[in-house]
Amino acid sequence: MSPVDPKKKAPRYWRSVAELEGRLEFQEFMEREFAQPLQELPLDSPERRRFMQIAGASLALAGVTGCRWPEEKILPYSRRPEGLVPGEARHFSTMMELGGAAVGLTVASYDNRPIKVEGNPAHPGSRGGTSMLHQAGILELYDPDRSKAPSRAEGNGRAAATWDAFTAWWKERRAALTSNGGASLRVLAEPSSSPTRAALQQRLKAVFPQMVWVDYCAVDDDNSRVGSTLAFGKPLRAHYAFDKAKVILSLDSDFAVQHPNALAWARDLGRSREPDGGMSRLYAIESTFTHVGSIADHRLALRAELIKAVAVYLDAALSEQLQGAAASGAPQPKPSAAFLEDAYVTKFLSVLVKDLVAAPGKSLIVVGEQQPPEVHALAHRLNTLLGNVGATVSYTEDEPNRARSRENIATLTQAMKAKSVDTLIVLGVNPVYDAPADVGFAEALAGVPHSVQLGLYEDETAKKCAWHLPAAHWLESWGDALAWDGTLSFAQPLIAPLYAGRSSIELLALLADEPKQTGLELLRTTHAGLLGDDRKWRKAIHDGLVAGTKVATVPPALQAIAAVTLSERERAGLELGNGQLELVLRPDDRLYDGRFANNAWLIEMPDTFTKVSWDNVALIAPSTAARLGVEDSTLVKLGVGGRELTIPAVISPGQPDGSIFVQLGWGRTESGVVAGRAADRIPASGVNAYALRSTELYDFGGGLQVTATGEKYLLAGVQDRFVMDAMGQKGISERIGQLMREGTVAEYEKAPDFAKHMVHHPPLLSLWKPVASYDGYKWGMSVDLNKCIGCSACMIACQAENNIPVVGKAAVERGRDMYWLRIDRYYRGTTAAAEVAFQPVTCHHCENAPCEQVCPVGATMHSHEGLNDMVYNRCIGTRYCANNCPYKVRKFNYFNFREDMKDPHNESRKLAYNPEVTIRSRGVMEKCTFCVQRIQKAKIKAKNAGRRVKDGEIKTACEQACPTAAITFGDLNNGDAKVRNEQFHPRSYAMLGELNNLPRLQYLARIRNPNPELA
Amino acid sequence: MAATIKAGAAEVSAATSGLNPYQGPPVGDNVFAKITQNVSRVMEVPKPPRAWYIAFGIALTLLSIFGACLGWVVWEGIGAWGNMVPVAWAFDITNFVFWVGIGHAGTLISAVLFLLRQNWRTAVNRFAEAMTIFAVACAAIFPGIHIGRPWLPYWMFPIPNQMGMWPQFRSPLEWDVFAVGTYATVSVLFWYMGMIPDFATFRDRSTSTIKRAAYGLVAMGWRGSSRQWHRYERAYLLLAALATPLVLSVHSVVSFDFATAQLPGWHTTIFPPYFVAGAIFGGFAMVLVLAVPARQFFGLKYIITIKHIELMAMVILATGMVVGYAYGMEFFIAWYSGSMYEGFTFQNRAFGPYAWAYWTMIFCNVVSPQIFWWKKMRSSPWVAFIVGVIVNVGMWFERFVIIGTSLARDFLPGSWGYFIPTPVDYLTLGGSFGLFFTLFLLFCRYLPMVAMAEVKSIMPEAHVAHGDHH
Repeated sequence: MSPVDPKKKAPRYWRSVAELEGRLEFQEFMEREFAQPLQELPLDSPERRRFMQIAGASLALAGVTGCRWPEEKILPYSRRPEGLVPGEARHFSTMMELGGAAVGLTVASYDNRPIKVEGNPAHPGSRGGTSMLHQAGILELYDPDRSKAPSRAEGNGRAAATWDAFTAWWKERRAALTSNGGASLRVLAEPSSSPTRAALQQRLKAVFPQMVWVDYCAVDDDNSRVGSTLAFGKPLRAHYAFDKAKVILSLDSDFAVQHPNALAWARDLGRSREPDGGMSRLYAIESTFTHVGSIADHRLALRAELIKAVAVYLDAALSEQLQGAAASGAPQPKPSAAFLEDAYVTKFLSVLVKDLVAAPGKSLIVVGEQQPPEVHALAHRLNTLLGNVGATVSYTEDEPNRARSRENIATLTQAMKAKSVDTLIVLGVNPVYDAPADVGFAEALAGVPHSVQLGLYEDETAKKCAWHLPAAHWLESWGDALAWDGTLSFAQPLIAPLYAGRSSIELLALLADEPKQTGLELLRTTHAGLLGDDRKWRKAIHDGLVAGTKVATVPPALQAIAAVTLSERERAGLELGNGQLELVLRPDDRLYDGRFANNAWLIEMPDTFTKVSWDNVALIAPSTAARLGVEDSTLVKLGVGGRELTIPAVISPGQPDGSIFVQLGWGRTESGVVAGRAADRIPASGVNAYALRSTELYDFGGGLQVTATGEKYLLAGVQDRFVMDAMGQKGISERIGQLMREGTVAEYEKAPDFAKHMVHHPPLLSLWKPVASYDGYKWGMSVDLNKCIGCSACMIACQAENNIPVVGKAAVERGRDMYWLRIDRYYRGTTAAAEVAFQPVTCHHCENAPCEQVCPVGATMHSHEGLNDMVYNRCIGTRYCANNCPYKVRKFNYFNFREDMKDPHNESRKLAYNPEVTIRSRGVMEKCTFCVQRIQKAKIKAKNAGRRVKDGEIKTACEQACPTAAITFGDLNNGDAKVRNEQFHPRSYAMLGELNNLPRLQYLARIRNPNPELA
Repeated sequence: MAATIKAGAAEVSAATSGLNPYQGPPVGDNVFAKITQNVSRVMEVPKPPRAWYIAFGIALTLLSIFGACLGWVVWEGIGAWGNMVPVAWAFDITNFVFWVGIGHAGTLISAVLFLLRQNWRTAVNRFAEAMTIFAVACAAIFPGIHIGRPWLPYWMFPIPNQMGMWPQFRSPLEWDVFAVGTYATVSVLFWYMGMIPDFATFRDRSTSTIKRAAYGLVAMGWRGSSRQWHRYERAYLLLAALATPLVLSVHSVVSFDFATAQLPGWHTTIFPPYFVAGAIFGGFAMVLVLAVPARQFFGLKYIITIKHIELMAMVILATGMVVGYAYGMEFFIAWYSGSMYEGFTFQNRAFGPYAWAYWTMIFCNVVSPQIFWWKKMRSSPWVAFIVGVIVNVGMWFERFVIIGTSLARDFLPGSWGYFIPTPVDYLTLGGSFGLFFTLFLLFCRYLPMVAMAEVKSIMPEAHVAHGDHH
């Protein structure tokens, strides 16, 4: 729409008399983006809502037409570029920074439209694996609820604005701020390892010398940084080599999922659990089930506050037995704590001490981020004493002089309340939602006259800020960051910003009034020294990282650690009365600090342990629940320090008595149609547990009062979300050993094929002749149960790859979730000492498939390579196949689960679809295909090259995502194939093989390495 | 005339020795005429009894609910029901098997009892056949509507087509298509053929031209000549012989839907006889439910006598014990198989979350018919009616227990579930009764409800000339 030049002579054809006459109102009309000005619509009127939908749709449609190149490279195709085949995916390296560490990724792009995220095998932070959060990045990119344009506060509502308007406004502000050296300016940002951001921070500081930069994120690793300072006198970052450790102790740590470097460590942990090569023994002492605890050989459920005493005890006990302990400072005195008198706890700890002492240089003690610094310090000390430094743990320098988030936010809020802040720039974080409740950030923010927030969504903080600026998604922007080990990693945009988003470095450049303000220019400036050469630069961008930039390790100098004081609570017994209970708050695996809440893939993803989706819950131990009269799936009132929260309770085995666990990140009120948005009366999913968080009770704390309301709450879950009766429990316990075969290392060494002999059956005969001889390719899959930690990355990878719909809470509650791959979770026992095991279940592609025989229309057929193919357009939906499937992996489209795509608002979400996989209509059955599109692609490639498909050439989406490499797919006819070796492995077994289904998916039995003394 | 009929009925009911309910002294000289008059009167009177209107109103309401439900299901998707994974079949297939089962007694009474020379069948066979047709009509709706894409059920028929598709004949659902299709065809033919002489009677007695033309058309020129009677009886015998194996086949094949599956609780060789017995059981119960009010309100007590009711009660008692035996035998086999999954399925059925459904079934199907050991109860029409209703409830539950509880908890506990029906489920079930009763009430009003010609043939009067010789 070009503005009308009034000086231009009257047009020959005119749109209105006003135009003909060149009236001013017509010019205004032309210049406005929308016919009806945004400001004129009251905020809450339905017209406005409709308008926003249409506006969103038109913007989204702009996205459709604009499957664009990054701006810097835009070129018309006069000739097709070499290597670009239309419709063929191309892969680009990029990275995603979360928790201050980069994870390298490769993103598949179809026609310049990113549709699938994979791990970058060359990157030390990924090693080929991905987490749920990386996988779900695609849906976040195309989320129609993302903020699309700047906005500013006006009266009680918000008015649309532009970047130009913001720039003009900032010019004024700059002038005002320069006068006081920026003393009243604060920048509140998430800690980042980006060198460019650090450089810009310095340059901004040069402009405003008095400015204060505030690091804040609701999820942090502050405790471990402070802990290492306690132990070594300066912050050091620990690097663990789990694959080299033989005895691992995890103290309330979920290092395999909830850590910036979790993917690398999960892979190492998986390798250390290899039963053929001297399997490690894993002990976990934790306050709720973690992914690490789920595969531990021995697990002790203890309240989070008691773990400090455990660390003190270990220090005292180990120092006694280890030579040279005294040289590194006085050991801790033996603690006197009531819970340490418990017979099992004593036994557990003494056996653990013995095991640790017996494995010098081959043990490892890891502490969770939620544990206080003292526990971290003691663990560092013990690792040093045990001779692990240089063997299983090494250290690098960590960022010095960064205060803890919890203190930073409190200090900032105080300054805001004291009116010493008049300009606040918020980069990406959402403190109005997630700041500790006692700080009163939201009220303080109201008193700051000039506030600016850059965010992906117009969220809780954005709504309270004078300015909101849309952020560019990480798939839309240039960026750099360091991996956990310091490797320099780069992010390149896979698509130009769909909306008016800019990255945080671009905003900082704007604020600092830098001469160059685009992301690419900023990056080139930062790395002009190292990567000044264009060839080097291109290689770095191509690889997504610069090899050899790992930070050098430093030898740690252990200092004496003062005697740790244990409060009365920290020395209490195992049982607590109501009002004295412990509350543990932790970020959610799926929603992190809450920023991913509007991602439907993540919010519908069932929790690893409770299998509940669309809600967060309070986990209560069965014994505690019985004492408090709390029933499963009822609402409870949690009260602590005068703060209250009503939340559904789930009675959870493995939870220590007296400790209540709640996940953070839920209960968003200004997010989107998925997570909740007050303006549109869309209720929040889950409840906001930040309401219970204070600077005192930040990670966990005591004094919790639980009041049972008895009110039922409908929880949607994919597995046993109904109270299991005694009959069902009996049935599960008698069969679980046969489905989920498990043995100890001793049993395995005695009879490696023990798993094959766990079920005995008569000779198997079939009515049917095999449909094919399978002498070409013969596809099969193997899943190592020993390695699965239940992280569910495979489920989202499958969802992203195969266009699996999100069905909504009501449908999940009815049992209509559509996951092609699910992870069955089984508990053994119902007490705090319960064990848990995971079993990923996909279609087994039975050679003798029960589903194929019963389909009246032949909609599910067997391929000559042994795939159980589903012919969607032939399916009429009798659902007989689902009934006859013993694995229940077939999912049915009970409704048109794409109905929401008809809403123009959701137009952009269509871009997230994988063009190689059919969208299934209502009324048809669907299921895992072993990623047949990937198989076909590799076969075509191999055929063109006149060879067979090589082993490892095809990776299914689940296999590729798996951080622990528990899933293997390949050709069973290929003698060298890993999957063949695994299926011929003595540990391999076919689940329900006695039904003569001849499944192509086989499991490697779970092996545990228990200490005979604890068995 | 009413007095005569009453007197006749009393006399007839007294004559209860032997299997012919009309044995004993002749009812009167003009009894043939009375039968004709009474049966035809329902069609001839300008207005049927008020009870008919009330019943028809209710049935029509239910039918419209049924239509609305099916429309909703087609429009929105079968997610309108509570089906899910693992319980992918629930009320839909339960209703199908239930109605197919009801449709059993008709052919059994018509064909098998005809071949076995059980003459008492004549009073109720037309009812039973009509019931069969209507029940099969209800049943046939469900396989069509229960599929995910209800506009495509014809893909199950072997119709050569440009898509090159052909049914998959290993599937028991495909066998169902033929079993139910054949059964419906033969039943309709049998029913219609049996009605031809009675249509002719209606035609002859019709006063209005339209009625005469309509009944004349369906009577296909029946004149009652002995040649026609000869051909008619031959054909009837042949059709009866054709229909007899179908009585066994249709429900056996329906049971294969379950028996050939791998699912514990379905995978059972006892299913074919067990299903057939259950179908006869439920079918007779339904005949009672229909016959008792019909004889009451249309004044047919002397045609459908107490003896008839008693005989049907005996069939119910016997088949009820057969299904009771089957229930027990299922448990025995589950235990004897040594299969953990089989054993669990049956324990779970009786003591798990669906125990309420299981024990409802046991009470209705095994306990309630035991009342028929007492002659007084057997010969009380309203007791028979109530037991008939209870047995029908029980038979519906039997199918639900087999389908629902087996699916809800199969092999992998990770995918266990619990089926909770939606309002649409209940309304669809209730609505299907609307279709059934609407059709049945229309039948009562416009078609010969009792096989006049056949009843007459077994009246003692028919044998007056030969009475002494036999």
